[in-house]
Amino acid sequence: MNGLSSVINLLAYVAATIFVLGFLNKVVLYFKTPSPLKIATTPAPTNSVGVVLRLVPEVLFFRSLLRGGTAEKILWVGGWFFHVSFLLIILRHLRMFVYPVPGWIMSFQQIGIWAGLIFPIALLILIVRRFTNDRLAVISLFQDYFVLLLIIAIGLTGLLLKYFVRTNLVDVKSFILGLFSVSPAQVPASPLFLIHFSLVLILLVYFPFSKLMHAWGVLISPARAQADNPREVRNVAPWAQ
Amino acid sequence: MPNLEVEGKSYEVDEEGYLMDWQNWNEAIAAAMAKQDGLELSQSHWEVIKFLREYFEKYQIAPMIKILTKEIGKVLGPEKGNTKYLYELYPAGPAKQACRYAGLPKPTGCV
Amino acid sequence: MAKIEAPELTGKIITPKVKTGASKDLKVFLAKPELMTKVSFPSEKPADWKEKFIENFGVILNKYKSVRVFLDICVRCGACTDKCHFYLGTGDPRNMPVYRQELMRTVYRKYFTTGGKLFGSLGAAQEITDELLDEWMTYFYQCSECRRCSVFCPYGIDTAEITMAARELLDSIGMGSKYNLEIVNKAETLGNNLGMPGPAIRNTLDFVEEDIKEKSNVDVKLPMDVEGADILFVTPSADFFASPHIESLAGYAKVFHQAGASWTMSSYASEGGNFGMFIGNYNHMKAINARIWKAARELKVKRVIVGECGHAWRVLYAFSNSLNGPFDFLDSRYRVPQHICEYTLDLIKRGALKFDKTANDQFSVTYHDSCNVARATRMGETPGDQFTIPREIIRTVCNKFVDMDADTIGDRTFCCGGGGGTLTDELIDIRVKGAMPRMQALKRVKDSHNVNFFALICAICKAQFTKVFPYYGIDMEEVGGVHQLVSNAIILGAKEGI
Repeated sequence: MNGLSSVINLLAYVAATIFVLGFLNKVVLYFKTPSPLKIATTPAPTNSVGVVLRLVPEVLFFRSLLRGGTAEKILWVGGWFFHVSFLLIILRHLRMFVYPVPGWIMSFQQIGIWAGLIFPIALLILIVRRFTNDRLAVISLFQDYFVLLLIIAIGLTGLLLKYFVRTNLVDVKSFILGLFSVSPAQVPASPLFLIHFSLVLILLVYFPFSKLMHAWGVLISPARAQADNPREVRNVAPWAQ
Repeated sequence: MPNLEVEGKSYEVDEEGYLMDWQNWNEAIAAAMAKQDGLELSQSHWEVIKFLREYFEKYQIAPMIKILTKEIGKVLGPEKGNTKYLYELYPAGPAKQACRYAGLPKPTGCV
Repeated sequence: MAKIEAPELTGKIITPKVKTGASKDLKVFLAKPELMTKVSFPSEKPADWKEKFIENFGVILNKYKSVRVFLDICVRCGACTDKCHFYLGTGDPRNMPVYRQELMRTVYRKYFTTGGKLFGSLGAAQEITDELLDEWMTYFYQCSECRRCSVFCPYGIDTAEITMAARELLDSIGMGSKYNLEIVNKAETLGNNLGMPGPAIRNTLDFVEEDIKEKSNVDVKLPMDVEGADILFVTPSADFFASPHIESLAGYAKVFHQAGASWTMSSYASEGGNFGMFIGNYNHMKAINARIWKAARELKVKRVIVGECGHAWRVLYAFSNSLNGPFDFLDSRYRVPQHICEYTLDLIKRGALKFDKTANDQFSVTYHDSCNVARATRMGETPGDQFTIPREIIRTVCNKFVDMDADTIGDRTFCCGGGGGTLTDELIDIRVKGAMPRMQALKRVKDSHNVNFFALICAICKAQFTKVFPYYGIDMEEVGGVHQLVSNAIILGAKEGI
């Protein structure tokens, strides 16, 4: 194994570790921080089954965004297609992670390609709205553009690898399987692949320290994930006792 | 803390011109405050001020506006015992403007 | 004072272009050192305020999941930017909920996030400075904690939580709002926000009794401090003092009278409202709330009912069980506490109340959902009953009722513009502007249905609209309570079984 391979393999493990530990750290931190008062935004469900039923359409269809005006409808299109196509792309990539490849993963191959094409368009909507709408232009920060550009770069390098600068998939797969089985292998001899792969590592490292934690937050946001039952159930934080 | 100068004497008032100590009040203060607002105090104005101070002395708070209107109706005639008339006298609101002239603290709360 | 220009009434709510700094000069009066001390806050900014500030910030992050999670997960999608009435009324970008929160988030990044510590201003992380504190003091007192932003946020991020935390932090380094802290102090020492002593309340109650007697020749009592009564009734002290609030007080009394209920108010717990919530201070909120439960114990009542007040209902419905529960000394057959609208509608449904609807025929009525009732509480059994119950009461006592546009009522209701501790004269400019979305919606039903009665169940909304209507050329007397309508129509003495 050459020096470059060693470095990339090592960085992959470092990034994955930071991602997992960073993410778990936030999850634990959120879990440990109490909610001293019931603050569900009402009308809210009165029990936990209802809370799940409230959250499902929020997670799957961004329901609250749909209640907004035109700007939110545009955002919905960009945001929903971005998230769904990202998911499909990840599912398509799973064939690189396992051997032999189960049938259900194979079933995502075609739709994953379509998703790969929709992906940059959705991201383009998300980025263009940030500087064309005067309110969004004010609130948008460097990190908002950074993460969009990072993901666009991941998508575009991926498309280039797929359509223009084909790389040897056998090499890619042996490298990835090596990572997962902790028997590091040679990185593919494709600079473009290495760029694509490194960008993903950057995204992983960035994730737990950024607004991307909304992925977890959407499930536990106290205004949405609490049941509206304060008259029936007494809720007291340990610090308030 | 701002001050109000009346007849050579200085009185402490708050940011909105309410007298800090209601017991320091005298009629010249009310007249001076009204003058600043471009208002000349008539007998009717004075009736309101008088009642406000009497009530405050007894209850440590200005009266509810309907108690005030009823009293004014008694003193000045039933056709004047209504909120509209009080707002004619005190355009910025009887509870606030009249209280200020009467040297009483501003009633604050959800009002 | 510069003349305040109310926006033109067109019936349309138009999102303004961003006007940076449009409301930067609208500030609350600072509390004086003596007042700060009275409510157990530092009298003024200490020399080491920065350290204190950061330390207290850390404490809040560890105490409130809402603040910690909300500060982390906002993606700045912008869905909230045109949902705040204060933004719609002023165009000041700091009144966009996300950009208001940014005042706190930027400091949070600096001291509490890896990115902020590593990358500083590149990651939009700023040190806390006097200038930034000044902006906090301005814009966190231009939030009415109405939660409308939370409804449209994909994660339900609630600016009210951020505003409360911000005010708590400001108070903790000696920077308080005179209006809010005066009220907190009066509620804790005298038992109500207005600072009315017991005899003054009694005098008002006597007046209302006489007034009812004169008009209907029926002896309706407004009892206070009656030990052994079944019901402790708690209402905002504005109901004892202001118009049109007082009309609803007569309404409650008539309902209790017709129900043959044994009820009492308390001179010790003579306030439903709780400004401890507005300033985000758990201990003050708890202390103010505790008076009610102490009174309930001492008067040996079986149940507690709450009058027309939005944030009182929030604290009592959603928080008091946490603050001062459990309430096992009360009769478990009744929900603790109950809203007067729940109580009245229940009586109506059981046929215990009779009405002459024509008594309200001069009114064409619409109903304004107050933010705390709409988005922070419930009435009845089913989510959303907080919208249907008051409307059902109104339909029972009035012939003419019409709702405003659907996107301005229910959980999308617009704040009156004076909630959350902003109902103070020095903020009148932004209060007038903040009322704009509601006024436009009202204008539409005025045009289409000649609406001339604006029914409410919140003392702050009543005071705010009474003050603001004239700026829009509408008579202040069009503002009134739901139980004012009940009071007009209820037939006294016609008791037919309960």
